[in-house]
Amino acid sequence: MVIQKEKKSCGQVVEEWKEFVWNPRTHQFMGRTGTSWAFILLFYLVFYGFLTAMFTLTMWVMLQTVSDHTPKYQDRLATPGLMIRPKTENLDVIVNVSDTESWDQHVQKLNKFLEPYNDSIQAQKNDVCRPGRYYEQPDNGVLNYPKRACQFNRTQLGNCSGIGDPTHYGYSTGQPCVFIKMNRVINFYAGANQSMNVTCVGKRDEDAENLGNFVMFPANGNIDLMYFPYYGKKFHVNYTQPLVAVKFLNVTPNVEVNVECRINAANIATDDERDKFAGRVAFKLRVNKA
Amino acid sequence: MDRKREIYSVELSGTKDIEKTDKEDGKEKSRGLKNKCLERKKNHQKEELKKELDLDDHKLSKEELEAKYGTNIITGLSSAQAAELLAQHGPNSLTPPKGTPEIIKFLKQMIGGFSILLWIGAILCWIAYGIQYSNDHSSSLDNVYLGCVLALVVILTGVFAYYQEAKSTNIMSSFQKMIPQQALVIRDSEKKTIPADQLVVGDIVEIKGGDRVPADVRLLSTQGCKVDNSSVTGESEPQARSCEFTHESPLETKNIAFFSTTCLEVSAPPVGTATGMVISTGDRTIIGQIASLASGVKDSKTPIAIEIEHFVHIVAGVAVSVGIIFFIIAVSMKYHVLDSIIFLIGIIVANVPEGLLATVTVTLSLTAKRMAKKNCLVKNLEAVETLGSTSIICSDKTGTLTQNRMTVAHLWFDHQIFVADTSENHSNQVFDQSSATWASLSKIITLCNRAEFRPGQESVPIMKKTVVGDASETALLKFSEVMLGNVMDIRKRNRKVAEIPFNSTNKFQLSIHETEDPDDKRFLVVMKGAPERILEKCSTIMVNGQEQPLDRSTAEAFHTAYMELGGIGERVLGFCHLYLPTDEFPETYSFDVDTMNFPTSNFCFVGLLSMIDPPRSTVPDAVTKCRSAGIKVIMVTGDHPITAKAIAKSVGIISANSETVEDIAKRLNLPVEQVNKQDAKAAVVTGMELKDMSPEQLDELLANHSEIVFARTSPQQKLIIVEGCQRQDAVVAVTGDGVNDSPALKKADIGIAMGIAGSDAAKNAADMVLLDDNFASIVTGVEEGRLIFDNLKKTIAYTLTKNIAELCPFLIYIIAGLPLPIGTVTILFIDLGTDIIPSIALAYEKAESDIMNRKPRHKKKDRLVNPPLALYSYLHIGLMQALGAFVTYFTVYAQQGFLPTTILHLRLEWENDNVNDLEDSYGQEWTRYQRKYLEWTGYTAFFVSIMIQQIADLIIRKTRRNSICQQGLFRNKIVWVGIASQIIIALILSYGLGSIQALNFTMLRPQYWFVAVPHAVLIWVYDEVRKLFIRLFPGSWWDKNMYY
Repeated sequence: MVIQKEKKSCGQVVEEWKEFVWNPRTHQFMGRTGTSWAFILLFYLVFYGFLTAMFTLTMWVMLQTVSDHTPKYQDRLATPGLMIRPKTENLDVIVNVSDTESWDQHVQKLNKFLEPYNDSIQAQKNDVCRPGRYYEQPDNGVLNYPKRACQFNRTQLGNCSGIGDPTHYGYSTGQPCVFIKMNRVINFYAGANQSMNVTCVGKRDEDAENLGNFVMFPANGNIDLMYFPYYGKKFHVNYTQPLVAVKFLNVTPNVEVNVECRINAANIATDDERDKFAGRVAFKLRVNKA
Repeated sequence: MDRKREIYSVELSGTKDIEKTDKEDGKEKSRGLKNKCLERKKNHQKEELKKELDLDDHKLSKEELEAKYGTNIITGLSSAQAAELLAQHGPNSLTPPKGTPEIIKFLKQMIGGFSILLWIGAILCWIAYGIQYSNDHSSSLDNVYLGCVLALVVILTGVFAYYQEAKSTNIMSSFQKMIPQQALVIRDSEKKTIPADQLVVGDIVEIKGGDRVPADVRLLSTQGCKVDNSSVTGESEPQARSCEFTHESPLETKNIAFFSTTCLEVSAPPVGTATGMVISTGDRTIIGQIASLASGVKDSKTPIAIEIEHFVHIVAGVAVSVGIIFFIIAVSMKYHVLDSIIFLIGIIVANVPEGLLATVTVTLSLTAKRMAKKNCLVKNLEAVETLGSTSIICSDKTGTLTQNRMTVAHLWFDHQIFVADTSENHSNQVFDQSSATWASLSKIITLCNRAEFRPGQESVPIMKKTVVGDASETALLKFSEVMLGNVMDIRKRNRKVAEIPFNSTNKFQLSIHETEDPDDKRFLVVMKGAPERILEKCSTIMVNGQEQPLDRSTAEAFHTAYMELGGIGERVLGFCHLYLPTDEFPETYSFDVDTMNFPTSNFCFVGLLSMIDPPRSTVPDAVTKCRSAGIKVIMVTGDHPITAKAIAKSVGIISANSETVEDIAKRLNLPVEQVNKQDAKAAVVTGMELKDMSPEQLDELLANHSEIVFARTSPQQKLIIVEGCQRQDAVVAVTGDGVNDSPALKKADIGIAMGIAGSDAAKNAADMVLLDDNFASIVTGVEEGRLIFDNLKKTIAYTLTKNIAELCPFLIYIIAGLPLPIGTVTILFIDLGTDIIPSIALAYEKAESDIMNRKPRHKKKDRLVNPPLALYSYLHIGLMQALGAFVTYFTVYAQQGFLPTTILHLRLEWENDNVNDLEDSYGQEWTRYQRKYLEWTGYTAFFVSIMIQQIADLIIRKTRRNSICQQGLFRNKIVWVGIASQIIIALILSYGLGSIQALNFTMLRPQYWFVAVPHAVLIWVYDEVRKLFIRLFPGSWWDKNMYY
């Protein structure tokens, strides 16, 4: 009707924007004068300074509630998970026997992973403990620091130790070693004073067939109690995680085999529906032979 | 606009105005306001209108009519004929204005506001899944679900808003259907009562006094019929109707009565009714044509709709720009494009206050309900606020400001003016009734009156009884009934022997009565009429019960009184009587009114009485309130300027000490031209003057005078006035009741129709209906409107605040690679869960200060969402909330083993499903599921912290300036219901649904609920400080930057 929508021309719009950015009449830059800008910047400087201080303070207070050696809560870690080495992208160990490069990266990783297990280093740093018993080092009121760790010698891994091994953990012959480790959990008495071991099976019947024979090191896949409890990164400086090596002797070649390893321990449930890695680990194994 | 105006003028005033518009055409052409296309259309339209007005039924004789419509005046149509015609032409009712189709309304809700952003979010989700799926067929369906949730949110809020709208519209339509109309029709030689919408062309109908004319009717036989045409033409005087063809124009001729006008009276039996033939029905009636044209005036957007749009633009602008900036950042940080898209979705969801528009709708409908209780029925939800920003009210006089009935206002006898009580119930008559003159005067008033109460109304209060008779006789009847008691009884005791009814040549009414005193055998002749005519017939005057000769000085006193009462716009009547001597007129004397065999001069003058349609008692107060609220009240009426001015003065539209140019001229004895126009605060402008004004002159008039009365205005001039006001950037409210008001009602920012007196066309065109026809209800509307505006500000500020707390996690997640602090679904639970009731609760907040003492907001300057509001919500409180929530988040992670330093840039490993031995700060190793659960605990903690801080936010938003202590922490109970709802919903989500994985909530340790409390307290304290400085230093830099 009478109120006509004034269509602004492009030039007008540009003009308006120019004036918004710098208005020479009122000396306003982006709608504010210099003093106004100074004020507002000062205000935000002070205000955000204050907020930062406040945040820092509350964070500091919060960090005071956190102890150095044990986390406040461990309820999420009641069941430790299991993992394999070599660590691969999709939890699959694929070995092309003829193609050195395909397994060389695994070998490199394992070499590096097992280096701290070298007997010489172990002997130098760690104690020889009595097997079959927890190696407890209570604080008894006085901070007992650092804690000692028990030896886990690379030689215990037998054919999978890789020491003087021309087959490179069996990868070059199609008899690969896979190492099973259990997640570290502070103050966790795994096994509840009874012996425990790792067992592996093919997931389905055909997997079991294809899997063939395998040997475990240490024998039976045993994990000794002496490696528990774990006292944390900071206190348990040279802690050496116990390992179980599985050497697959005659995997059916050129077939993907689903392997599942689980720990048999009195206080570790392995049937959590949601957490597929609680007390167990599933991985794929494939040995390609020409 | 031009086109419309012309149409109205043609429609409303008939052929006369066609010439006028022609002239206007010329003028406007020279102004060059139109384009040719419009002109062509216009001419075409004019042709059509001329054709339409080619109605010649009024010129035809009865026989020709019978032939034309195939009917018979005596026997009427046959039922079969009627049924056929009904099927052919449709029912005799106005087609309600075509609303937007329901499906369009629904779709508008679906894509309006933020919905489009959320749709984009949903579609992005599905695209992301598509990409994922094409890469890896086993990818999780999370994104599909999220997309569905977003779509569901849009659909649900859309359906909800649509439902709310529909509900409020339904109130209105049910209201319209309340009064079914009946018509008395002759069919098959029988009189039948049928619903009026069954009438067809050619029907013969009978109309009684007080009936509404059921269709456009050509009168065939009637006597003394008067109709109220005010709703068609704006004439407030009753119009006589007869069977004769008196004017070429169908609008002017007397033998046509219009649909929906009221037939005021038909003279007494033997005729008793007016008979007529229906010549057009439904939309083809004159009223129907006007109504359908009124619906053509485009609805402009309501101020609140403009504000909400503005707000949506701001929020959407922030969402889109932040989203795009971070999309670019994410891509340049070498994130996968897919991840970047997912970030974008998160940012959009975090930024959009999903629940807000639904909340606004609820808030508005709550106010609409509250207003309906106070007799303001709001048709369009958004109009609830419009009254609050109204800066000019153009009010109709009759019926809105006044009671719409003649009432005795003043009396003059014994050389003195007495004031009668004109309030709605007449209860308080204070003038001196001891004088003998009063006794005589009251007798004349009672006896010289033909009006009678309809029988069967014994229990009805006097003022509410229906009366058969014209307006002034009704006024006198009611007045005497109140003063003297049973009038009918008095009339019975003073038997009427002869009577000359009022006619326009005589200008008096006379009746002869026996006296009630059995000893007094004289006859009493009583007479009333135009004062000057009455005085001519008198030779004496009664003073204090004594007859005195009428000398010059008494005649002068009479004239002074007459002028004084006439000058305040009152209708004055003179009263005189004469006792006939018994010797000349014995008891058996037979009076003959035709030969006038009795004296009609040398009467004794008794007194004057003046009547006015008095203002409603609540109006002056309401006008004062509007004034103090900075609202200009303009009277726009079709009535005479003197009456209009008098009413304007008595209700305060023209205040006691302000003068018009004419007043000043009179006082200073100057010609009007010499008076400085700036000196006059008030102005009375007639339609004639307005016609000669250019728009610039009108603008000047509206700008320079604070008190304006427009009198004698036509409907199209009302439209011009409304437009003039709107040119001043004012939000204009128009009140009106007639069909002729409907264009102005539609044009106004808010049209207010009268619920009782208002015509359907007016109600259809209006946005609001005053159920009690009371102007004072408008004040309530203004108050509620302003309150809702303030409270919506609070609601929006409250809702926007947490958006930052929801947005920051995503930004930090992208930049610093922390595990995601809050999930998209969790955000939706805040926006659509915990925050909903609290934000509605703010609508119940009482006003902080007297909102009726401040100026109406400026349409373009006082925005709903202004920069201080956005900045304060986003950068102050929002940021504080974000920090508080992050403290909780870090606490949860640290106490579980992930110290803040560890989780920096941990994102890639954290989210890798194949890393099941991720080391924390203590050397412990976590599986993916264990981390996920911790992440959900983080979500829950973040959610709870925002909720806790939103409680503080809710409390601080109760006021914008006052301290919470001043406002009262517990006065608004609903706020506490809101707080309780927040806590309960959070408790249920955390503890009740803790096991439902899909919702990503976990059981939260009780202490984590309190981590953010210090920040909540800080928010409260900070806001109190802000308000304190605003109160201490009004107008300061702080006030300007921190008051929203």
